[in-house]
Amino acid sequence: MTDLRLVLLQTGYQLVSVARNRRAVVFSLVFPIVLLVMFNSVFVKGSDTVELNGATINAHTYFTGSMLAYAILLAGFNSLAITLVMQRESGQLKRLRGTPVPAWTFMVATVLRCVATVGLMTVVLLAIGHLAYDVPIAGSAVGDILLYVVLGIVAMCSAGIAATALIGDVDSASAALPLIAVVLSLISGIFVGVDQLPSWLADVARVFPVYHLTSGLQTALGGGSLDAGNAAVLALWGLGGIAVAARRFRWEPQAVPA
Amino acid sequence: MSSAPTATMATRNGAAPDLSADTAAVAVQDLRKGYGRTDALRGVTFEVRRGEIFALLGPNGAGKTTMIEILEGYRRRTSGEAHVLGADPGRPTRSWRERIGLVLQECELDPNLTVRETVRMFSSFYPAPAPVEDTIELAGLADVGDVRVGRLSGGQRRRVDVAVGIAGDPELIFLDEPTTGFDPSARRAAWTMIDGLRGLGKTILLTTHYMDEAQRLADRIGILRVGELVAIGSVEEIGAGLRAGALIRFRLPPGLAEHHVAAEAGVPVEMEGELAVIRVPDPQPVLYRLTSWAVHEGIHLSGLEVIRPTLEDMFLELTAQETEHD
Repeated sequence: MTDLRLVLLQTGYQLVSVARNRRAVVFSLVFPIVLLVMFNSVFVKGSDTVELNGATINAHTYFTGSMLAYAILLAGFNSLAITLVMQRESGQLKRLRGTPVPAWTFMVATVLRCVATVGLMTVVLLAIGHLAYDVPIAGSAVGDILLYVVLGIVAMCSAGIAATALIGDVDSASAALPLIAVVLSLISGIFVGVDQLPSWLADVARVFPVYHLTSGLQTALGGGSLDAGNAAVLALWGLGGIAVAARRFRWEPQAVPA
Repeated sequence: MSSAPTATMATRNGAAPDLSADTAAVAVQDLRKGYGRTDALRGVTFEVRRGEIFALLGPNGAGKTTMIEILEGYRRRTSGEAHVLGADPGRPTRSWRERIGLVLQECELDPNLTVRETVRMFSSFYPAPAPVEDTIELAGLADVGDVRVGRLSGGQRRRVDVAVGIAGDPELIFLDEPTTGFDPSARRAAWTMIDGLRGLGKTILLTTHYMDEAQRLADRIGILRVGELVAIGSVEEIGAGLRAGALIRFRLPPGLAEHHVAAEAGVPVEMEGELAVIRVPDPQPVLYRLTSWAVHEGIHLSGLEVIRPTLEDMFLELTAQETEHD
């Protein structure tokens, strides 16, 4: 009970900290909203459709799913990994390890911060899609959407935590992570349909979780039937990330001071 | 320099001070730490008594931070014994961490939280923390309680490090170079704050490379030089143990050679320019012979003075063979 209180308390302080961090707010919250509006207002008309997994989906619905996936990628993978590397390299994590607070409570709080951010983004993006672009939110689709949001958070957060083990300093993190996110977004159907990619590139995309998250959310929003493969790949990435994170996560600064 | 409370207690009970691991806050025996082929610590032995302020003094690269991080539970020792509050710091447990407070050498806290939020969060990690406002007051942060940590000056930020270090009301506090980079007035303020901790009966182990800081704050001092403890004790004890205990100096009277003086004083005399210099562990008998002789002969020893080494002199002498490795 006490430890649960510690988790919630740390989650609260992390959320306060994120809310005061202008870069984090712009990156995780404003960015997907702006892109959602841009894509739906500038690039597509209401009559456009996209072919996905054999179903025909309205383009507004498609890009609303895209941006939800993109928000989960940014909050779960990018923001989480960059924040953790910064906390590690500045000595915040080392300091925390020197207190009696159990390490797992910090990790759970970090993931819960991400859950809260994504939860807010889900509501905001779906509301904008529904109100401004007539994206239907069928009652029957809510369960499927939630399933993919949860699987996406698990896969992205664990991949993000695991990625910090491979990144030695803040400069590398702020260079590598956005690049990875942009490349994965481009090949995973967030900005451009996967059917427009060379088949080898589409095959590469299918290895990574972003494609399966995007595809799953778009399908769920479009009222299509779920592809169990998408969910399975996300779950595998989640488990793999947790395994790597558990073995390789570092609490002490890695960069050698100049 | 106040005496260690344990010593006072022992006197009161009429018993010899018990220095076993049960009563010492920190006990280190022949501790070694190797990094690859180099040894950062080469068999260090010392104890910190409860209620005492103990300073590990040494130049950069002497092994101070390695030592303190082993005792804080961050690093594993290669060999030797270590007890911190009766437990092995190589296996830190939650209940053990609840009893110690840390102020790390290079530490940052979340820049987006206010001082009060930061102290409150760290306090909540401990079962019986000090009242948050008391901690903020003691750390000298009362005026900036609602300011975000990222907007504080370097000196103020260091105070927040101290505040979160003592937030849990620990029995034992580690301070790793608490005032490095401070200007003189900030250092004096920090010293006053550490005196405040002493007043609360805390045991403190601090590292510093400022001799005056160790002299000002510590009951006892251990001097580290390239991984070895080359001296330990109170300032007086360390001074007494040194060859150049005191220095007697005067202008050589005209018409006399140094061997005349040496014959009367009974000790060797060196010349430094016009000055005759005598180095002795205990200056009293030499001064007596020298001045009796001079008075009897009607000789005036102009500029006669007895110089006690400062801690800085001792420190420089003890670390004189310091290599450049850092």
